[in-house]
Amino acid sequence: MEELKIQAVCGFGCGSSLFLRIKIDEVLKKHGLKARTFCGDVGTACSADCDVIFTSPELADRMKERANVPIVVINSFMDENEVTEKVLAFFQSREA
Amino acid sequence: MSAEHILVEKDKLRVHVPAQTWQEAIAQAGAVLEEAGSVTHDYIDAMIAAVEEFGPYIVIMPGFAIAHAAPCPAVKKEDIALVTLEKPLNFGSPNDPVLVVLCVSCIDHESHLNALQKVAVALDSEEIFPQMAAAGTVDELFDILHHRSL
Repeated sequence: MEELKIQAVCGFGCGSSLFLRIKIDEVLKKHGLKARTFCGDVGTACSADCDVIFTSPELADRMKERANVPIVVINSFMDENEVTEKVLAFFQSREA
Repeated sequence: MSAEHILVEKDKLRVHVPAQTWQEAIAQAGAVLEEAGSVTHDYIDAMIAAVEEFGPYIVIMPGFAIAHAAPCPAVKKEDIALVTLEKPLNFGSPNDPVLVVLCVSCIDHESHLNALQKVAVALDSEEIFPQMAAAGTVDELFDILHHRSL
């Protein structure tokens, strides 16, 4: 399977999305999953090449009309349980 | 402690800053970077405007907000400040109330990542925020942040 591209999105792509990306990277590593992760901002996220967008509830609302890929909503960017559950669910959906 | 292990410099830490609203809390954190010459006052306004526009998602975990705005001319250098609040404040987020505010200035989307990544790793557990909020001095806060007194 081609490497999946996961985009973590916040308002500007340089602050909170980095925290989310780090948490996603940790989860991927822990579960032996491979994907490329990168940060994006809400203005340009929908035109960036990726397979899925991870973001906050507020920003998801702004992007859902424009996004061509699934948007996964994360309520607490550093909550390992939540991020783990949603990353694994995404990978399962890709395998199905 | 060698320089590369320092996550936030002592002169960029403040404890128990007074704030009545989330806007004041962001302004207090931003003022640390303004005093250091890393940003101009416009950056503080931009951080507040960002929350007004995008919502309180900057409260990324219980008790913790990360205030920032886009790279812009108001940023003179990349920097990080961290303040604890005198009293917990609501930002309108499910992760309220906020005890600790981190303020980040970035000159682009890449150059600060290494520094911020180290901070993110240190803050990987939400239990650290009540401990930080209880710190009475900058020295104590510095030690908690650097996991030296845990």
